[in-house]
Amino acid sequence: VRCQLSPPQRALQTSAVLRRVSDEQKEPLASSSQQQFDSHPADPQPEQEPQGPRPSYTGQGGQESEDYESEEQLQHRILTAALEFVPEHGWTAEAIAEGAKTLGLSVAAAGMFHSDGSELVLHFVSQCNTKLSELLEQEQKQVQLGEAEKKPTEQFLRDAVEARLRMLIPYIEKWPQALSILLLPHNIPDSLNLLTSMIDDIWHYAGDQSTDFNWYTRRAVLTGVYNTTELVMMQDSSPDFEDTWRFLESRVADAMNMGNTANQVQSTGEAVVQGLMGAAVTVSNAETSGAVR
Amino acid sequence: LCGSVRGLAAGPEAHFGFQSVTEAERREKIYQVFESVAKKYDVMNDSMTLGIHRVWKDILVHKMNPSPGTLLLDVAGGTGDIAFRFINYVRSIRERQLQRRLKHHQNLSWQEIFESYQADKSKSLGDSQVVVCDINKEMLKVGKQKAEHLGYSEGLSWVLGDAEELPFDDDKFDVYTIAFGIRNVTRIDLALQEAYRVLKPGGRFLCLEFSHVSNPLLSRLYDLYSFQVIPVLGEVIAGDWKSYQYLVESIRRFPPQEELKAMIEDAGFLKVDYQNLNSGIVAIHSGFKL
Repeated sequence: VRCQLSPPQRALQTSAVLRRVSDEQKEPLASSSQQQFDSHPADPQPEQEPQGPRPSYTGQGGQESEDYESEEQLQHRILTAALEFVPEHGWTAEAIAEGAKTLGLSVAAAGMFHSDGSELVLHFVSQCNTKLSELLEQEQKQVQLGEAEKKPTEQFLRDAVEARLRMLIPYIEKWPQALSILLLPHNIPDSLNLLTSMIDDIWHYAGDQSTDFNWYTRRAVLTGVYNTTELVMMQDSSPDFEDTWRFLESRVADAMNMGNTANQVQSTGEAVVQGLMGAAVTVSNAETSGAVR
Repeated sequence: LCGSVRGLAAGPEAHFGFQSVTEAERREKIYQVFESVAKKYDVMNDSMTLGIHRVWKDILVHKMNPSPGTLLLDVAGGTGDIAFRFINYVRSIRERQLQRRLKHHQNLSWQEIFESYQADKSKSLGDSQVVVCDINKEMLKVGKQKAEHLGYSEGLSWVLGDAEELPFDDDKFDVYTIAFGIRNVTRIDLALQEAYRVLKPGGRFLCLEFSHVSNPLLSRLYDLYSFQVIPVLGEVIAGDWKSYQYLVESIRRFPPQEELKAMIEDAGFLKVDYQNLNSGIVAIHSGFKL
């Protein structure tokens, strides 16, 4: 994750902002959110070398580059800090600028990102997906340890989708804006990727081990359920989004029944075909016997 | 060894257009160039670039996307083009912010609305400020006159200073811009280091400058236009052939995009990148102090 294609890690020893990774590790092992909102200002490095001409390539994957956080990690920190300001400013460069300010950086640091707020939304979605995976992983462990019962698939899917959608609640006012940003052409590859990997994760933890066409149908169906429920949630004003969860329940039930319906259709189809074949044989027999006579 | 052959009195080598001069001579010659063109600077810009330089400068400020409260240092900003655009941009963003805020406060009492309006009215720029720094007194004079003429007064200050040794403290500014100025700096590396010094952590460096055209056909046409047309325009409009000959030659001597990018990285900036405008006739380089 820390490897960069170009330019290589450079002049990080006198970097004004990028923190030593060791500083991050010294903090108490609290939850990740606490780490990001801590009050550590961006301290300038103690060894301030005189500003002389520096060689072009420093720390090429050597010891030094491992000690300092990369630009990407700093960007993640800024985006996480910016989430706090989304309810007020929306998914915009302004929110990112405010986030940078809380980290002790100049507002100009928001210039590192796209001016339409894309990275902020993608970062948030990715964060939510990671949280969901961790949640499902924990649940699975509990089942393995015998501390909890294994849920039936329908219940599992419902709970997973509900847990994931609940993460949107603090930002629900501005979520329509986020959806429209995710649909921008230059964001579609990334947003589609995030969506499919999330759905994949849910099915994996649901115990899906299919290797045939079912794999595709299951994912397509769950994607449909998720997307429609999300849209319903946008317009839901019931207390604690009850209507949304009820909608979700019906959709998941439909999805489960679809499997049975598919089988029924197939056997009906087979029966119909057999009937037609029989009729054709009968007709041709009747003709030949008629011709013989 | 070459220096000692040339003579002990000579200083470090530099170039003035296609001539070879000492650094001290170069600084003086450039000062004289701008002293003589100052009054006709804007007119010449318009006629040489057919007005396109306005678009380039607009693109620079759009790329900057400053939010209200930004502190800008515009170096070699002479006649104030970037500074005025910055002020306009911040003002319009500020207005939009205020409108949005008023829309949210639909059910306030009249008293509260009045108070909020009062508070915001005094900050039409929202604390944004721009400092225009230039080494040349004449260019600053022209800039100040322009500002008066166009009605810019708030959030603007004019400082005489050398890009290689800025008269400002460390960690002061949010954005540092230098538009069509870095070509005239004798020690570019010093100017970049100064830029790094005066920027706040997280601050942005933006450089708008003529650069190298890679497309061979366009390059031929551009050369033709530069060497045949521009000095003539200089003579006709500003009465100064030599200065515009210098201009064209200095563009050719300036390092290309990748080299300038490496120099910016050497000064300590990260996430350095450039954007070509008009296939490389002009390039915007951007870097962050992280």
